Amino acid sequence: MSEVHTMQEKLFYRLHLILNQMNLKSVYKIPNGKLLKISLDYNERNDSIGSIDITGDFFAYPEEAIELLEKNLQNSRFNRLDLLKKINSVIEKNDLEFIGLNAEGLTHGIMLCRP
Amino acid sequence: MREKWRFLTTQDKTAYTNMAIDWAVLNANSKGQVPPTVRFYTWKPSAISIGYFQSLDEEIDFNVCKKLGVDYVRRITGGGAVYHEHELTYSIVIPESHPQIPKNIIESYGRICGALIKGLGQLGIESQYMPINDIVSNGKKISGNAQTRKNKTVLQHGTILTDVNVDKMFSVLKVPDEKIRDKMISDVKQRVTSVKHILGEDANFDRVSNAMKLGFEEEFDVELVPGNLTDQEIKDAEKFEKEYFSSREWNHKK
Repeated sequence: MSEVHTMQEKLFYRLHLILNQMNLKSVYKIPNGKLLKISLDYNERNDSIGSIDITGDFFAYPEEAIELLEKNLQNSRFNRLDLLKKINSVIEKNDLEFIGLNAEGLTHGIMLCRP
Repeated sequence: MREKWRFLTTQDKTAYTNMAIDWAVLNANSKGQVPPTVRFYTWKPSAISIGYFQSLDEEIDFNVCKKLGVDYVRRITGGGAVYHEHELTYSIVIPESHPQIPKNIIESYGRICGALIKGLGQLGIESQYMPINDIVSNGKKISGNAQTRKNKTVLQHGTILTDVNVDKMFSVLKVPDEKIRDKMISDVKQRVTSVKHILGEDANFDRVSNAMKLGFEEEFDVELVPGNLTDQEIKDAEKFEKEYFSSREWNHKK
């Protein structure tokens, strides 16, 4: 009986998450750079990013840089300064290099998604 | 005595094979198994390559591709979507530490594009490098380029447009807003040119290839010696083609 109850709870919790999340997108041309497209799951309950997909025609070295950023940005609060700080920290820590994209542009692209 | 680099030409390969060969050569060069290598190639069937970070679904109209028999593939390099039909595609693979290659990525784009500019000059076409990754002639794009660096090795590949069919290109690529499709096509027609358009005559693969070969030799003061892929490169290319470039998992990863 308790197992059924737990499953119901899990189901309810899952539904709650779905209801409180929405997929948001932005398209942003980085000044003097390339086209950045962001798609993210927004968690309205705590104003945070669930998961994020960063795409576009920019260059990143090494290429794994973007996956690393996507992982690090998960569950981040939707705050421009916090995001910029986090992005810069990942770039510096992992010695990443972008061409046609930069930390400020990426932050702006993410913030444009905010409802 | 001039340094000798390997020179390969592989015509009419599929998109999957072409991308797999570039990666296999990069792999072999990074292990010191082959010298710096310049390859010229073409695509059959015609194909779209998308940049490593692009979303396949957002860039390509799969139905039109299927109808026209156009393949599509995700590159290991960044950059934008490219429709490969009437062009010479080149790739250069060279150690990052080679004295001819600037450490700075943008500078290295400029240096390698310098070879293409000299090659276009051999055809009587004046052109300039336009950062980040284009070459323009009379202000119109004639070449796009993309570079990656893996295992301390540089791979740069790109196109020299020998002819261009903007209408067909836009039929296989998605546009952000269907309402402005016609305007986008007309804008691109104004911004893109080709060897044929500038010279007023067809330029076949051999003619453009000979010119580009001279361009690379002059820019880097080397001799390009015709050669072949090694057995190991062929084996690696087959593996990369199967496991990556022809797989749904790779092409639809974003």
